[in-house]
Amino acid sequence: MNRKTFLATMAAIFATTALPAFAQDDWPERPVRILVSFPPGGSSDLVARLLAEKLSVSLGQQFVIENKPGAAGTVAAQALQQAQPDGYTLMLSNLTPFNVAPVRFPDTPYDPIADFDHITYVGTVHLGLFAAPSAEITDLDSLVNMARSQPGLLEYGSSGVGSWGHVIAEQFQDESGAELFHIPYKGSGPMRLDFMGGVVPTIFDAVPQNLPAVAEGTAIPLAVSAPERIASLPDVPTFIEAGYPIEAENWLGVSTPAGVPAAIKATLDAALTDAMALPEVQAQFDTWGLIREPKSNEAFSSYVQDQLTRWTPLVQAATQ
Amino acid sequence: MDLLHNLALGLNTAATMQNLIYCFVGVFLGTFIGALPGVGPLAAVAMLLPVSFYLPPETALVMLAGVYYGAEYGGSIASILLNIPGTPSASVTCIDGYPMAQQGRAGVALFSTAMASMFGALFGVVVMVLLSPRLAEFALLFQPAEYFSVMVLGLVAASIVSTSGVVRGLMMVCLGILLGTIGVDVNSGETRFTGGIPQLRDGVSLVVVAMGLFGVSEVITSMRGTTQSYAGAGMIGRMFPNRDEWRRSFMPAVRGSAIGSFFGTLPGTGQTVASFVAYALEKRLNKRADQFGKGAIEGVVVPESANNAAAQTAFIPTLTLGIPGSTTMALMLGALMIHGITPGPRMISEHPELFWGLVVSFVFGNIFLLILNIPLIGLWVRLLRVPHYFLYPAVIVLICVGVYSISNSLTDIWATLAFGLVGYVLRLFRFEPAPMLIGFVLGPMMEEYFRRAMLLSRGDATVFFTRPGSAALLLVAILMLCATMLPWRRWLTAGLSRRRQA
Repeated sequence: MNRKTFLATMAAIFATTALPAFAQDDWPERPVRILVSFPPGGSSDLVARLLAEKLSVSLGQQFVIENKPGAAGTVAAQALQQAQPDGYTLMLSNLTPFNVAPVRFPDTPYDPIADFDHITYVGTVHLGLFAAPSAEITDLDSLVNMARSQPGLLEYGSSGVGSWGHVIAEQFQDESGAELFHIPYKGSGPMRLDFMGGVVPTIFDAVPQNLPAVAEGTAIPLAVSAPERIASLPDVPTFIEAGYPIEAENWLGVSTPAGVPAAIKATLDAALTDAMALPEVQAQFDTWGLIREPKSNEAFSSYVQDQLTRWTPLVQAATQ
Repeated sequence: MDLLHNLALGLNTAATMQNLIYCFVGVFLGTFIGALPGVGPLAAVAMLLPVSFYLPPETALVMLAGVYYGAEYGGSIASILLNIPGTPSASVTCIDGYPMAQQGRAGVALFSTAMASMFGALFGVVVMVLLSPRLAEFALLFQPAEYFSVMVLGLVAASIVSTSGVVRGLMMVCLGILLGTIGVDVNSGETRFTGGIPQLRDGVSLVVVAMGLFGVSEVITSMRGTTQSYAGAGMIGRMFPNRDEWRRSFMPAVRGSAIGSFFGTLPGTGQTVASFVAYALEKRLNKRADQFGKGAIEGVVVPESANNAAAQTAFIPTLTLGIPGSTTMALMLGALMIHGITPGPRMISEHPELFWGLVVSFVFGNIFLLILNIPLIGLWVRLLRVPHYFLYPAVIVLICVGVYSISNSLTDIWATLAFGLVGYVLRLFRFEPAPMLIGFVLGPMMEEYFRRAMLLSRGDATVFFTRPGSAALLLVAILMLCATMLPWRRWLTAGLSRRRQA
């Protein structure tokens, strides 16, 4: 293969993804885009790819993942808002661009509720508080006692200022009277690296990616932000059990721009529900630690609204 | 013995027909993609990720890894031939590779790149096999203070690399650092210098800066006909280095590989720092330092052996800790997660066939690369004979496609063209883009680690000198800078050459 042939092939690949749009009744009649607000490779991206593969089979059209990372997910959400509400642009929606970023950045150019139809709830991961073995903290009480007796001595890591870990950590300090010292990171990866190296003694981070370290004994789970104990960490108390009213879910769902025809929404919702009922999809979600519960279309819409109401004061308190 | 047992296990996995074929496919695609300006390994691995749904995990990983290090090698091809680095880490290779091509030695340059890449990669693999558990612990010993000092060393190295003088180099490094401050500040969460544009909250994209400064500005420069003579370009000439060149290349390759293996294990710093630091150190150590930047074969061998060694050892933190050191590595972990394998410290013990299979496949992959690329050298060199009015528009189109493919953003394409103009103006005033690029890459990281180290020490700046690792790295940086700035070096070299003449 010479360079020219290769170039031509490349050009063809890219050209086919940009076919012009036609509005049709028999949805889907051409490939459907699913926007993902993360770069490829993360767990949300994998969820989208798995669902896209199943939808492509059941609906007979290609569902194509388009990664539009950036600005806390608002780049992807804005692209969704500006897309035609014809059912050919979807987004794997999540907590940050719909419930956190619009509060933190008041110039966010969309309304997280009015500008979108939130169609199907996919599942959620919870936040955990983990301590390094070297910190000699065995449970939540000992952490609170230590942080009360020596205020500001104990550091905690979060995946960034205004991230859900930071917001919940601030709420935890308010509720418990413990005073911790915030070390912000650019994302969860570098934070976990410093956690393993003993640089930060505690972290507030999503549960699933820390399970290998828990099994290894290099991370001690102190509490989880779920309403009830979770299956992957049955011995770990919830914040609520410990007496702090803290709940946090980084939910995933599928959303469209507002105004998609009802028939398309119904088809999409049914196809997604069927896909998520497949045993191999359930098994995959389990290994990724994605916790599911059935939620109707209406329930999901009001859930997104409720979450926004709940997060707004917390985000404002954490970032002022 | 454990090691032999592990290697045998790895050979079992890597030497199946299927895995060999996918390994070959991976390095083949990787070379081509790396050679195309703008389309980096990230885009390539992302495009191939869906394929890994349908492959067994070890096969998928072998293929994706092949694309990754294949692209690392391929990135040097456009650097040498067109002065346009296919990947940011190949920008150092331009410094001597492009002059070699202009002198009609493109064949030698490409051949020694191929050899140096293989040498570096195999060196990295050996380091990995012998030291993999130790290296993971070593990476964890690096705390924010040490990372800060590594960044300082990298920046000093970058300004020394510049052929237009240290002062100009430092100026460009500073410009790069300033450019890197655009975006959300990690510690306060405030946006800086974004002008209210949400797209700038994450800063300017690296690919946009790299492709604008190197790619687009090179095309503009050559359109104006201001590049130096093309007299020798397009001649295939000889391909094999002569005996003297072989001899001169060996020690630089060893030093480059060792430095590359070291930097590869540090998550996030990776190949780009490795190639800059290796080149800068070599420029200090090599007796023929005055030839650097004018087409010295060592100037090609050193960065290439370093970045390929780093590309291999970069797998250590990713696979042993389960924490990806770069976005491309995150994609490869994604390929494993699709198959329900959770990356983490237990992965090597739970899936030894996967880890050791991958390591052994690196050896096969690098041999494939060499076999594949030596016959292609003639073809690549002939590319220079394509008239520029065909070649350069094609390069621009490729750059646009590559930039767009990163985050599907049109704004990025306009920004790339704008950086092209900036790069062109800088070149008119004899400022080089390479130090600016590394300032842009390392500056924000340096700030982040500096402030994190200061947070952890509660504002005590002595940590940078009291922690032995950090102190040692800073000392090397200071020595490197002094060696360049102080006049004794000039006296020494002058003295030497006088003695030689006598």
